[in-house]
Amino acid sequence: MIEFGIEFVPRDLYWKTTFYAIQAEKIGFDYLWITDHFNNRNVYVSLAIISAYTERIKIGLGVTNPYLVHPVVTAQVVATLNEIAPDRMVCGLGVGDRTTLQMVNVKQTKPLATIRESVRIIRDISSGKSLEMNGEIFTLLGARLNFKIVNPVPVFVGAQGPKMLALAAEIGDGVLINASHSKDVENAMKFVYEGMERSGKKPDDLNISVYTSFSIASDYDKAFKAVVPVVAYIVAGSPEMILERHGISCEIADKIRDAIVHGQWKEAFSCVDNAMAEAFSICGTPETCVEKIDRLVKAGVNQIVAGSPIGPNMRESINMIATQVFPQFKK
Amino acid sequence: MALEKIARNIPASLWSEASEKLVEVILNSPNASRMPSDLAKTILYYWQRDQLATEVGLHRLLEASMILEPEKTVSLMEELGLTEIVTMLKETSRQ
Repeated sequence: MIEFGIEFVPRDLYWKTTFYAIQAEKIGFDYLWITDHFNNRNVYVSLAIISAYTERIKIGLGVTNPYLVHPVVTAQVVATLNEIAPDRMVCGLGVGDRTTLQMVNVKQTKPLATIRESVRIIRDISSGKSLEMNGEIFTLLGARLNFKIVNPVPVFVGAQGPKMLALAAEIGDGVLINASHSKDVENAMKFVYEGMERSGKKPDDLNISVYTSFSIASDYDKAFKAVVPVVAYIVAGSPEMILERHGISCEIADKIRDAIVHGQWKEAFSCVDNAMAEAFSICGTPETCVEKIDRLVKAGVNQIVAGSPIGPNMRESINMIATQVFPQFKK
Repeated sequence: MALEKIARNIPASLWSEASEKLVEVILNSPNASRMPSDLAKTILYYWQRDQLATEVGLHRLLEASMILEPEKTVSLMEELGLTEIVTMLKETSRQ
């Protein structure tokens, strides 16, 4: 059966995010992911408080990156959180958001090697092992945690490009495909299968999740309006190949990027049209969202993550997912 | 008058509707940063245990709503036809 996840960006006050997290658990979401950007509220603190107010839902870093946080620290955090929320903690790891990393002059160098080594470090250290490693990126001299480990934490790898998708499927317990459109997910699945084949994984050995930008409302225009800022950022950051796949010109993407860089939000957001929202989000009425999710399920994914913004009114949109989307998939 | 006593005067038949509407006011308030952290944690405690639509839950929601949006809270009680509560809240605000 298909699982559902929800993503929260801890920009909001901690108690609001926690309120929505409790709501998400009550209505039957399986996973809850909290994003990690240094300029938002801290992901670990957010997860700690959410752990205290929830009992069943799996909670994940969605996703952290090894450029700002050394993987031994991530291992320590997930092992600690897994004590607070036993068997519920999931570690999501990726190369991070380029724009945010640029603000602190951190470059995403050697992404494949960095992720491969980080996954090994996080997995071994958070399992209580001692690790000696002389890698291309990281060197560890018998590093280990000084406390008893409850259970290993699954590691999910966030990916978008072909090589990272294959690597994620090869070394991860789960892959988080960064896409919302079935065309992109179908294309991504080719590389996911390639990675699975490389490591001899069977379909049940890997959680294939799609991390979407999601906006649901009873009125399309309201859903669209809520998703515009997120879509603007996605278009601005998308590679040419993906823009071409959706018939979006590089010139308009450049225009949006330029406006974002200069803080001209109105200009940037005014360039976003329905076609862009169609390509880079699951946006619309419950019926439309169900159709789009169905296409992703048919592409072969196990988990649909409803990512930011969720909808124009968070509480209403979460309830709408419960009453009008879940019944179509969770029977 | 203490908000605890005021909350006790909300008829049980309106607990569910009143708590729903108070939560909406609190979550959408532009003054959300005024929420005391201890009160927020108490509300989360009751929310987790499905106790917001009870006397104790409503007391805390009312307290938060009066801190964040006193005028909207009074209007909401008027909408619910709770004239006695409206008078009590206005008295509390004056004190």
